[in-house]
Amino acid sequence: MSIGYRLREFKSGIRPWLNELKFTLKKIRKSPLSMVGTAIIIFFAVIAIFAPILAPPVDSRDPYSIFLDGYGPTPRPPGSEILDSYIRGTGWTTHYFGTEEGQIDIYYGCIWGARTAFSIGVLVVVISLAIGLITGSISGFYGGIIDELLMRFTDIILAFPGLVFAMALVIALPPQWPLDLGVMGIGIAIVVAIGVVGFLLKLPGIWRFLLGLAGVAAFAGLFVWGLGSPPVWVLRLNLNNLDKVLIALALVGWPGYTRVIRGEVLRVRQEDYVEAAKAVGCSDFRIILRHILPNTIYPVIIMASLDIGAIVLTAAALSFLGIGAPVGYADWGQMISFARNWVWAGKENPWQFWYTFTIPGLFIFLFVLGWNLLGDAFRDILDPTLRRR
Amino acid sequence: MGLFEFVIRRVILMIPTLVGVILLIFAVTQMFTPQQRATLYITNEKQMKNIDGIIRQYHLDESILVQFGGWFSQLLQGNLGFSKSGGGPVLEVMVRKLPATFELVIFSIPITILLGVYLGVQSAVNRDKPVDHVTRTVSIIGWSLPSFWLGIMLIAIFFSGLGWFPPERTGTDVFNYITLSGKWQHYTGLLTIDGLLNGQLWISLDVLKHMILPTITLVTIQIALIVRVMRSSMLESLGKGYVTAARAKGLSNSEVINRHARRNALIPTMTVAGLLTAGVITGVTITETVFNIDGVGRWAAQAAMAVDIPAVLGFALFTGIVYVFANLIVDLLYAYVDPRIRLG
Repeated sequence: MSIGYRLREFKSGIRPWLNELKFTLKKIRKSPLSMVGTAIIIFFAVIAIFAPILAPPVDSRDPYSIFLDGYGPTPRPPGSEILDSYIRGTGWTTHYFGTEEGQIDIYYGCIWGARTAFSIGVLVVVISLAIGLITGSISGFYGGIIDELLMRFTDIILAFPGLVFAMALVIALPPQWPLDLGVMGIGIAIVVAIGVVGFLLKLPGIWRFLLGLAGVAAFAGLFVWGLGSPPVWVLRLNLNNLDKVLIALALVGWPGYTRVIRGEVLRVRQEDYVEAAKAVGCSDFRIILRHILPNTIYPVIIMASLDIGAIVLTAAALSFLGIGAPVGYADWGQMISFARNWVWAGKENPWQFWYTFTIPGLFIFLFVLGWNLLGDAFRDILDPTLRRR
Repeated sequence: MGLFEFVIRRVILMIPTLVGVILLIFAVTQMFTPQQRATLYITNEKQMKNIDGIIRQYHLDESILVQFGGWFSQLLQGNLGFSKSGGGPVLEVMVRKLPATFELVIFSIPITILLGVYLGVQSAVNRDKPVDHVTRTVSIIGWSLPSFWLGIMLIAIFFSGLGWFPPERTGTDVFNYITLSGKWQHYTGLLTIDGLLNGQLWISLDVLKHMILPTITLVTIQIALIVRVMRSSMLESLGKGYVTAARAKGLSNSEVINRHARRNALIPTMTVAGLLTAGVITGVTITETVFNIDGVGRWAAQAAMAVDIPAVLGFALFTGIVYVFANLIVDLLYAYVDPRIRLG
């Protein structure tokens, strides 16, 4: 029972996944709309990755805050010169897309806003999917009272429109969140280490049992000690509004995934190979991890990643309402809220300030459109009743 | 099981969710400091100075159970706290601002559903033809548009550029007539209907004109949901045996589609009407802010920005309750239309 055997097992385990992926990619290539979607997303990924080259930060310690060129209230059109001599010294000469009120550079905000959008979207999806995977598989596999409780809980969270509940959470989360990472980190590290050792060595039953007991005891001991003693290493998480938005969206988002995963687990649980695994005497953990999840997770992960568009849309709406990103942060939604006073610019030339709202809006719209086009195609491709015909 | 029994069962099933919604809002209140929480118990401006007294009176620094009792009894009495940004008790402000929101909703939801069903049917009947492609593309575009940006672009085009449809809820002369002339009678709070009841048609027309852009915004963003569900359920129903049978009988194409296929395809579409409520509440919050309409949505958004805790929590509670009841109504209609649900 060597480590090499484990690796081989792992490799053969992921082979069907790779085949599925290849098949899906082939389907994607055939549909023109999804190709457009892919192209848009690649375009934004390139912008996000090369942001430091496309728009070199003026203050390299804080690249996400958009540089200000003076303080004048009136926006200036695309192509205007940069006046501030310090900014000129860093190599900037023109406002390519003009400025918002308060002389915030639109080009810089749009480029770095792509990074903000990706990081919010990806983080929210990862966090809520992780919660959804754990709760959904427990709920579907065990059923009974746990299932009932979890499902009623998801009902309650889903009863609030996402934006409204996120609004309430953003104002409810404290600006400083004390987390004792010392105790928590050591505890989690011990449990993980014991888990890895047990997994790799494949100890006989009694030893594994003792090891598990030791792990629990160590964790409990640390916990009690951590409660009584002064905190070891408290991380005072300073939550700016954007972090709060992130946490709020993840808290609002997980029940959706829990439901989908639960449904998939219920479907797979009846399969013969799960019965076989039970008959052989596999542990519940192993059955969920090795037999059920690999057969359910694939479409769920893809659907979840395509939610990035919708999440970015909600985050942008919160920023637009003024409870999202901090003022001056590179965020598309906030830039549009700056433009609100300039939609009408007098009788002679009503569209004088068109660039203040049109350009950042196009960035959000295209970003979300890319994800939605891809999502629409995937929905057809992943539909089991239509698949492989 | 008859329809009556189904109604009773469904109403009883609603109670745990309703209790859960209330408990969740209470859980959120526990994230605030006692000083912030005290604003939830205040009924008038004078009490704002007596925060310590409020904390003692409602035991806000004691255990959660004690607090819940106090909070819940206040809730039952309709006291949701005092809203700084609304300038009054939360419930009172909400009741005052609700008609403007309601007016937007009752115009946009029927348009969304009727147009969405029509487009979904056309899309399915002409599958993979130009009509289908155009409908699907347009609905994906509408779904991807940020509502606030769409609203701003509509203002830029139709107000700044063409001068057709202004933002706000009413024009200045209507506003003056309502607030200053003394001849205006409040009946429903819905200005379009009150205009007719007062015998002032020009007011109704003016309000309608102001509602066109917000309605377009709300419809554009919500319609994709209906079109998508209607299209797929229509496709499914077109492949069923009874449709083939209807065709074999020699019925005309429109009769087959309208009387046989569409009727059955409408049933799944009804289930998403509940989701539509959530979408509309979100949409209204943003649309009212963009178009500067003095409804509950704009108030909630302003309250969140001003950290007006009672207003935001009150609004959240309100939306949760509305959503639970909307789902109840949808389920009851569903059972009424489809006997398989209540008999199965």
